[in-house]
Amino acid sequence: MPYWYYDKKDLQNTPSFRDGISTDTENRYRKEGARFIIDTGSKMDLGYNTVATGVVYFHRFYMFHSFRTFPRYITACCCLFLAGKVEETPKKCKDIIKVAKSLLTEQKFASFGEDPKEEVMTLERILLQTIKFDLQVEHPYGYLLKYAKCLKGDKPKLQKMVQMAWTFVNDSLCTTLCLQWEPEVIAVALMFLAGKLSKFEVLDWNGRIPKHTAWWDMFVEDITMELLEDICHQVLDLYSPQPQSSGGDSPTGPPPAKMPKNDKKPLSVTPPTSASPVAAAAAKSAVTPSKNGAEMKFEGKLEPLRYAYPAYGALATYGGVFAGALPPPPRPGAALVAPRVYAEPPPPRFPPVNVPPPNYFPPPPPGPPPRPYYPPT
Amino acid sequence: MQGVSAPREPTQPVISTNSTILNMREKEKYIEEFDFPFCDESSKYEKVAKIGQGTFGEVFKARARNSNKKFVAMKKVLMDNEKEGFPITALREIKILQLLKHENVVNLIEICRTKATLHNKYRSTFYLVFDFCEHDLAGLLSNVNVKFSLGEIKKVMQQLLNGLYYIHSNKILHRDMKAANILITKSGILKLTDFGLARAFSVAKSGQVNKYTNRVVTLWYRPPELLLGDRNYGPSVDMWGGGCIMAEMWTRSPIMQGPTEQQQLILISQLCGSCTPDVWPGVENLDLYNKMELPKGQKRKVKERLKPYVKDPYGCDLLDKLLQLDPAKRYDADTALNHDFFWTDPMPCDLANMLAQHTQSMFEYLAPPRRPGHLRHHHHVAAGAKPAAPVQDSGYQDRVF
Repeated sequence: MPYWYYDKKDLQNTPSFRDGISTDTENRYRKEGARFIIDTGSKMDLGYNTVATGVVYFHRFYMFHSFRTFPRYITACCCLFLAGKVEETPKKCKDIIKVAKSLLTEQKFASFGEDPKEEVMTLERILLQTIKFDLQVEHPYGYLLKYAKCLKGDKPKLQKMVQMAWTFVNDSLCTTLCLQWEPEVIAVALMFLAGKLSKFEVLDWNGRIPKHTAWWDMFVEDITMELLEDICHQVLDLYSPQPQSSGGDSPTGPPPAKMPKNDKKPLSVTPPTSASPVAAAAAKSAVTPSKNGAEMKFEGKLEPLRYAYPAYGALATYGGVFAGALPPPPRPGAALVAPRVYAEPPPPRFPPVNVPPPNYFPPPPPGPPPRPYYPPT
Repeated sequence: MQGVSAPREPTQPVISTNSTILNMREKEKYIEEFDFPFCDESSKYEKVAKIGQGTFGEVFKARARNSNKKFVAMKKVLMDNEKEGFPITALREIKILQLLKHENVVNLIEICRTKATLHNKYRSTFYLVFDFCEHDLAGLLSNVNVKFSLGEIKKVMQQLLNGLYYIHSNKILHRDMKAANILITKSGILKLTDFGLARAFSVAKSGQVNKYTNRVVTLWYRPPELLLGDRNYGPSVDMWGGGCIMAEMWTRSPIMQGPTEQQQLILISQLCGSCTPDVWPGVENLDLYNKMELPKGQKRKVKERLKPYVKDPYGCDLLDKLLQLDPAKRYDADTALNHDFFWTDPMPCDLANMLAQHTQSMFEYLAPPRRPGHLRHHHHVAAGAKPAAPVQDSGYQDRVF
């Protein structure tokens, strides 16, 4: 059975790595691909769930294939195309390609071949087989909101913290965290990080029992501080200056020799007119809850994460961008996405589950409790 | 076979100019040779016979090559006319089947693929592979040699409602209830199948209205709210179909076989009475309430007209509760399972013994068209009209075991 979680050793020894692509370069490709899915999705008004599902497909895909075999931007389009259908927010293939074309340089778009749509169609079948038709993917967003509901404390501060955690979850899509930890764990870790940075200390929570030492003990067992810090650092690393030009810029571009060594231009996934002051201000949320909470919209243009963001310490003021923090949206309603609350009334998988659980894909929900077969009185 | 043939040579793709990535031919070879660890080739099964036509493709019976005894049903995912790649309906069905695991829901074993070759332009065909079930209910009912006792009918309905209870508890609507989509194994286990029209639903919160398509459910099993354009429906649409199927257990053919949506509504009104705000508060607000012709002054005759077939008073009463015009009054699966019908003598009894007398598979697809002997008007019924022309227990079925 496939198991979509890998340890760090496996994440190093990927098909791309075995194909001669350095780990740094692969991570950059992953980041660029993920960012491209986010940008394309945002431009098409796709919700955060669809975008996140597409990104998870993307990361899983490259655990089986090399970036040399399948250039990242067309794979990214294909993942978004499939995610759109799976999350009941379908977009036409040709429309996705149109947006992709508008976001990419001509050079990068050349990797889509002579008939981009046909390429995506062929690739979709390969994608489906690769991901074992495991279409339903869970994301940290829902857990984030669920956990936040249980926390006690100053409401505005809590909201600010949740807002910041939400942003971190968005940005975490650019890392391989979704290949390492269940969404529950990522949600806990990034709330922990947001709590630290926004100086919101959780002292009490609903459902607290004496043996709990931290609020997350209610939801996930055995989370160590090392684990939390490791996850937080993986996200924070996104905001620190990246090593430049490690490896060729792109297997899809012209040969590396012709590329400027220190390519500091914004990645081409960003439209040239992207100098939005809001976006540049900080590690801006890729996906921001909208005011009425009905649908997630991507606000403003996004700067590529490759820009140097404030270092860890400076991020303490990070919350400032979110003055008037908006309430996080409710779980997407039926209007936007098919409800994903399939798993009722089977009991939730948490609490408690060991981390990592023996198998993230346990046999599907046990279903309702057995009906009592007693004649009614 | 390699994807190398002369005509392809001159059309080297643009991207091949880049030495760092694979050229088209290398890529084709890669695709052809990649051994997808999670998606076996369909050649591990050997097709035996075509047994049906699903909403998005043909269904075959097949034998596992590594075991002569193991049979499966393979449903081909038809993609020929798909402009948008892998059909969203198939994706839904897969997602839902992966979620639902229950004795009374068909079991999806795996998804198989054909090898991608130059021959198919490097595009695999996919098959959903299910546990094989020997019969479907429409096939069984069309065979007069198959006789269900009252206890056996109860067992069928109990399993059907159990399956519906399970899927509805998991927030799934089937949306294509009909006798042909009810499978029964030779050991008498009933399985709901064909989730090609199924979808997840949410309980509409106040102020929030669902907008589902109402162009679902085979016409003869379609509930009145869908015919009147409701787009905010729920599990009760499946319960109506369950009621139609239950009646069919005795009538042996669909009870209301309208040729058009309008005619179907008329047939429903003739059986269940006029659709009025009186018996169905809110019906007047449905989109098509003023656009469809709704017979007025019809009396409800469900029990009266079904009694000659059903006889059992509890059975008649449950049918009456399932064939309620107002979806809010219609029994849900849980309530139906608690009905006295299932808890009075004769109690539900196993189907295995009865089915053991039939050694051939019975599927609607393989059966001759059923006679139009649907529910007659009461005066016909009173005359004791019975479906004629016995169908032989041979000739059309595929020999299975």
